[in-house]
Amino acid sequence: MDLLGLANYAVFMGILIGIYALLSLGLNIQWGFTGLFNAGIAGFFAVGAYASAILTSLPASGRLGGYELPLVVGWLASMAAAAAIAWPIGKICLRFRSDYLAIATIGIAEIIRLVIRTEGWLTGGVRGVTGVPRPFGDLDYMPSQLAYLAIVATLVLVAYLLVERQVKAPWGRMMRAIRDNELAAAAMGKQVEARRLQAFVFGSALMGLAGALFVHFNRSITPEAIDPMIATFLIWIMLILGGSGNNRGAILGAAVIWIIWSVSELLTDRLPTEIAVQAKYARVFIIGLTLQLVLRFRPEGILPERQAGAPPHR
Amino acid sequence: MKKRTVAAVVGAMLGAAVVAAPAHAQDVKLGLMAAISGPIAALAPPMAAASKLAVAHVNEQGGILKGGKLEVVLGDSACNPQNATDAATKAVNIDRVLAIVGPACSGAVIATANSVAIPAGVLMITPSGTSPEITKLKDKDLVYRTLPSDDYQGRALARTLKARGITKVAVAYLNNDYGKGLAESFKAEFEANGGTIAGYSGHEEGKASYRSELATLARGGADTLIIFDYGDGTGLSLIRQALENNFFKTFVGADGMKSEGLVKAIGAANLGGFFVSAPVGEASASLDNFNKAYKAAGENIDAVFATTSYDAAFLAALAIEKAGGDKAKLAESLRAVAMAPGEPIMAGEWAKAKKLIAEGKDIDYKGAGGDHEFDAAGDVPGNYAFFKVSGTGYESIADMK
Repeated sequence: MDLLGLANYAVFMGILIGIYALLSLGLNIQWGFTGLFNAGIAGFFAVGAYASAILTSLPASGRLGGYELPLVVGWLASMAAAAAIAWPIGKICLRFRSDYLAIATIGIAEIIRLVIRTEGWLTGGVRGVTGVPRPFGDLDYMPSQLAYLAIVATLVLVAYLLVERQVKAPWGRMMRAIRDNELAAAAMGKQVEARRLQAFVFGSALMGLAGALFVHFNRSITPEAIDPMIATFLIWIMLILGGSGNNRGAILGAAVIWIIWSVSELLTDRLPTEIAVQAKYARVFIIGLTLQLVLRFRPEGILPERQAGAPPHR
Repeated sequence: MKKRTVAAVVGAMLGAAVVAAPAHAQDVKLGLMAAISGPIAALAPPMAAASKLAVAHVNEQGGILKGGKLEVVLGDSACNPQNATDAATKAVNIDRVLAIVGPACSGAVIATANSVAIPAGVLMITPSGTSPEITKLKDKDLVYRTLPSDDYQGRALARTLKARGITKVAVAYLNNDYGKGLAESFKAEFEANGGTIAGYSGHEEGKASYRSELATLARGGADTLIIFDYGDGTGLSLIRQALENNFFKTFVGADGMKSEGLVKAIGAANLGGFFVSAPVGEASASLDNFNKAYKAAGENIDAVFATTSYDAAFLAALAIEKAGGDKAKLAESLRAVAMAPGEPIMAGEWAKAKKLIAEGKDIDYKGAGGDHEFDAAGDVPGNYAFFKVSGTGYESIADMK
């Protein structure tokens, strides 16, 4: 092993952490600030990924696509598509409270996944979309990875600053009020339904952007990538561990969980070869254990929510 | 405070990984990306065992290059692109593998090829990715597979039926990548050869009745039903219900339908009009070698993708040996050792292959799962035969071209 290899690996991790950080930020708007239990992250991730893939990919027979539009168009479209899907869903489902909303969104994510799998004319079906361009993809391995990391990091930073600006504004206080006591907020004349819908659409758009970044990184998307384990529940763990209601917590949670997930494999690889296969399952266990420990000893997450005017936590 | 703790923990983990990494100049590392967790977890252990058997053969019979050992770096590709690219990035950058065997699922193969193997210039051989999309990768000649694309079997079956005088069929396929991939390639080839598809529909698995689907398919007027499904699953229900209602006379399936359970359940007497296409091992001596060794290792020789996993690892080792450990020459060397002409090498014959390579002679690996004559895209043609039901099993009646 050498430092260059380690650096390459770190850059790769940085890219995936950035993509997961966007998902986690999107969920933070929905759950952390507004209290919407969205368990269908994978669905919005998928819509964004496919929207950008279809608009920017090379032509292929048997499915929509081949428009070869510029990347920026694809990325804006991914946010617009995810938001456009979120709007009617929110319109119907946001009347449900907590657990019911979770069940409805799981169902919707599953519907989206099945539509993607079966509607081959649109999405390439089970074979997915390939031939998606990657910005700076023609450079050598390391420069190309670095350039992509720069793009992802910039977008995460922009998203973070915008979300942070928004939740510090009166809008953010209003969302917290709705989350913590809906009746009181309504009594003060706040339009609870409309605000919740806003948060749902806004968060879903960020998830769509994350999908677009993912698809261009791998130059392809197949239904395998929108497995709920890796595209929904992992993000929940990230947000809960990092600290829901805190944007830095959301990003930190994405980094910590992905690093544990990825680096723990390097450690299990050092175990004797007889149990190497079994040791891989330990990684899934470690993630679960981490969540249990956090919920037991620090339920507010690593970086808890900061309440305006309240003294710093501990 | 907390942030620093986290940073320290992460640092310690990375540090431990760095310290623990062994370094021997002579040894060569081979990345094995198995789908250990995830939807096909049950298939992964026998596949990994088969690849490791190939590595064991290399190490028992003189090792690789100048007395080095071939080491396996096992990664979990989990059948999804996120984990597969992560595992492959580690294998390529941290462990410095020369070649990758895997990943297992097609979507993971495409993503790993695009974002790791091709940019990093690492040879990749998948033992189980069957998607036709893998053929289309712009892969700088770095991506190969040891089993045919789904496309191949569907097209071969279409040509065989045409040659047997069947011109009008209905197609029922299971709606997953296996069933749909076969159905699409079959349809394209059958129509291109002047055949008529009188009915074409996908179905979901596990329903109690498929009578309405069958009735719709039969309305097109075809006597022959093509079923791309599994004979131990929905395919059995389809045939049974089609026979009960006399919808079709002849049934043709692909390899998934070649099930002895199906013959037992329906009875050979009722299956006079049932045919299947299935791969056949041409280099049977090589397959015997593999089966013997695999059984001795305590594994079940009927495991899916076992032969192709063995071949992928063995071919990677041969390519490394031929290239003298030079990463840039691996693709060229792989073609040299896998393809005719050359002295035939069977599964398990590492010592012989090593000796011939050292003498500068050309070799041609005849694998347990096929001959592995790669085409320009790194795909292999399959060896398929057409079977009919005979007794409680199947009997080959014709080779398929």
